[in-house]
Amino acid sequence: MWPSLVDFKPYIVTGLALGGVYALSGVGIVVLYRATGVLNLAFGAIGAMGALISWTLINHHPAFPEWASYLVCILFGGAVTFVYGLVFGPPLAGRDPLVKAVGTLGLTLILLGLMSYLWPPIGRTMTLPTSKPDFSYHLGFADVDITMTEIIGLAFGVVVTFGIAAFLRLTKLGTAMRALADDREITATLGVPVRRVEAAAWLGSGLLAGAAGLLLSDLVGLDPVNLTFLVISSLAAALIARLRSLVATLFAGLAVGLCTALLTPITAWPSEANYQFSLSSYRGGAPFVIAIVTLLFLARRRVVSVSRTDA
Amino acid sequence: MKLRRIAVAVMLAVAAALIVALTTGATTGPAHVHVLGSGTASAAKSVCGLGTGKKATGSPIKLGAIATKQPGTDFTDIPNTAAAYFNCVNANGGINGHRIQYFIQTEQTDPAQDAAAAKKLIQTDRVVGMVGSTSIIECSINHKYYEQLHVYEIAAGIAPECYGKGDTNIASVNMGPRYSSDGATQYVIRQGVDKIAFDQSNVPGTGYISAGPNAVAKAAKIPIQDFTDTVPLQDANSVALKLVQAAGQNGGVVLNFTPDQALLILQAAQKQGLVDRVKAWACSTPCNSDFVASALGSAWDGKLGVNAELNLPSAAGPDSTLYRQIASKIKLAFGLGSFSQMGFVQARIATAALLNMKPPYTLARVGQAFAGVRNFHTDILCSPWYFGKVNVHIPNNTDRTVTPSNGKMAVKEGCFKVSAADPDIAAARAVEKKNPQLNTGKPYPVK
Repeated sequence: MWPSLVDFKPYIVTGLALGGVYALSGVGIVVLYRATGVLNLAFGAIGAMGALISWTLINHHPAFPEWASYLVCILFGGAVTFVYGLVFGPPLAGRDPLVKAVGTLGLTLILLGLMSYLWPPIGRTMTLPTSKPDFSYHLGFADVDITMTEIIGLAFGVVVTFGIAAFLRLTKLGTAMRALADDREITATLGVPVRRVEAAAWLGSGLLAGAAGLLLSDLVGLDPVNLTFLVISSLAAALIARLRSLVATLFAGLAVGLCTALLTPITAWPSEANYQFSLSSYRGGAPFVIAIVTLLFLARRRVVSVSRTDA
Repeated sequence: MKLRRIAVAVMLAVAAALIVALTTGATTGPAHVHVLGSGTASAAKSVCGLGTGKKATGSPIKLGAIATKQPGTDFTDIPNTAAAYFNCVNANGGINGHRIQYFIQTEQTDPAQDAAAAKKLIQTDRVVGMVGSTSIIECSINHKYYEQLHVYEIAAGIAPECYGKGDTNIASVNMGPRYSSDGATQYVIRQGVDKIAFDQSNVPGTGYISAGPNAVAKAAKIPIQDFTDTVPLQDANSVALKLVQAAGQNGGVVLNFTPDQALLILQAAQKQGLVDRVKAWACSTPCNSDFVASALGSAWDGKLGVNAELNLPSAAGPDSTLYRQIASKIKLAFGLGSFSQMGFVQARIATAALLNMKPPYTLARVGQAFAGVRNFHTDILCSPWYFGKVNVHIPNNTDRTVTPSNGKMAVKEGCFKVSAADPDIAAARAVEKKNPQLNTGKPYPVK
């Protein structure tokens, strides 16, 4: 049995909120890729570790201001990514994009190991102040409550996307980043301080990783493994945008979040007798299916290109 | 070069932050079990083993456990608490001077890994009995191996073989997810629901588990819809919405997840204003944890019925008191709750069995001692526990319903019999009726 339109409405809200954060993460990944050629697979792990540090500060250091704990999460993301970029960016600059991506996979594994050691898998919850009952609003059209965190998740994704797009277009540093994306060698010969520009990209991407980790720890749960591998949904969004367009990444992120959520109520189709054969039980694969279908569609029109030219 | 210097400075700052985290309680060091549980046992006081207060130094009696530990499913609280109890026994004279040496293996729902873990424990480590195992598939994979080698296991089971289905060498102190979900389903039926949405984690054995609640609901002529969700949950909001929609306004939602995952769904329901959109919410026994109660807050007070296979962690009985003393000495993943209680009860039963036998402590003799446990009384269980040489092992088939109250769990319904509409429970009751010595008569001696 196919659900009614009314049944779908609440999932639009949950899907958009999650999609907004996927978009935010996707934009962070694309910005870094465009400027440095590195597909940062550690994006989720960095955010997860930042969120765990925040959790520790909040729960074990009551004197430490709560707002500062959240700031630490974001700064941690920026610091770790910045340092990684400075230490490993230059030696890997001339290598194949696959080698660069595998480098970040190494960082992911190190961070996962550290998290496993420092924060054994006990039950932890992160409830941001914006998720408390005072910041809960009823959405009449969907007949469901929404928290300020979910609103921020969506709004932040949109604001960051257009903010970074404007930054890349209107500022000198942004122009340098765009130039790097086109041709690193020529950009360098034009006198652009390549390493500084790349460092700025690493830092910006890391700050976004921290912010996304903080939001997702509330929206999805404070589980390091789960948060680490949520990067897959964001990667799907980035791939759909061919690792180029920030606005396309935004819409792809929202589409991934929406599709995953909207599949949830389809619990009795195509099989009414067995839930395990319903669309709902396969919703976890939605990001990949969307990415594959989109890339195949674009390939049909011969416009797929996810490579870049490096020096 | 300037950037490099900045990088080094930032690295030092990050290292400093990590050191701060390391030194502020984010880590777990080795469990420090102090000497406790000594004295003379009485109706009001339980002690660890002999309770002598003297450290055992004799040759070791080796016991082993296999527990699942993977993202979204962590059962290690159970063997870790058993280990803490055995440490307490060793600090109090051990088993007539012999110390218990305990080996814990973890697994990730990998059949080959489970089989290898059992072989390592039995053939390499030379354990003489299995105590404290809790795994999604361990009983299914290893039960034939245990039968071949006459290894007996006191477990906290999940798979059907943990309850004697096809095996007589394993008996569990808990009801496991199926029978606990039966109890949770009975609770929502008593609340007068007209439909039930039953959701559980998508791990091996979901069909076996859902058969119980389906039988109970069918007997009550109430429709039930089964769901499974992959853990760790990535979209708890959507899951909560799905369940509420499926149950309907006069329906009930029954969850069978580990505490952290159930908590995600319950919190998502709360954030979205869904708590009162159904008539009743219930949870199988893993939710019986103060971690869940405190994380949920007052919004769920009295609104969530948690099937409790074991007593409240805060109960006043002598075994409950000793359990809290021991559990407080170790770092638990989910705080005081049913998982750690299961580990305590298993270790206590095994210790009693070992104290009631004479050396040598060989695999065959320890197995017979385990199998000989009958009518074991503890205030942590509603009814006496037994192993016995019977073909169905569901000795724990009477339990309670608890509910969150001011950050703790409180009793909502006293001990009740899990419905015999579940054919497995009916079989267990038939075994008990045929073998009254299993849970009646003179209590099993606990020295």
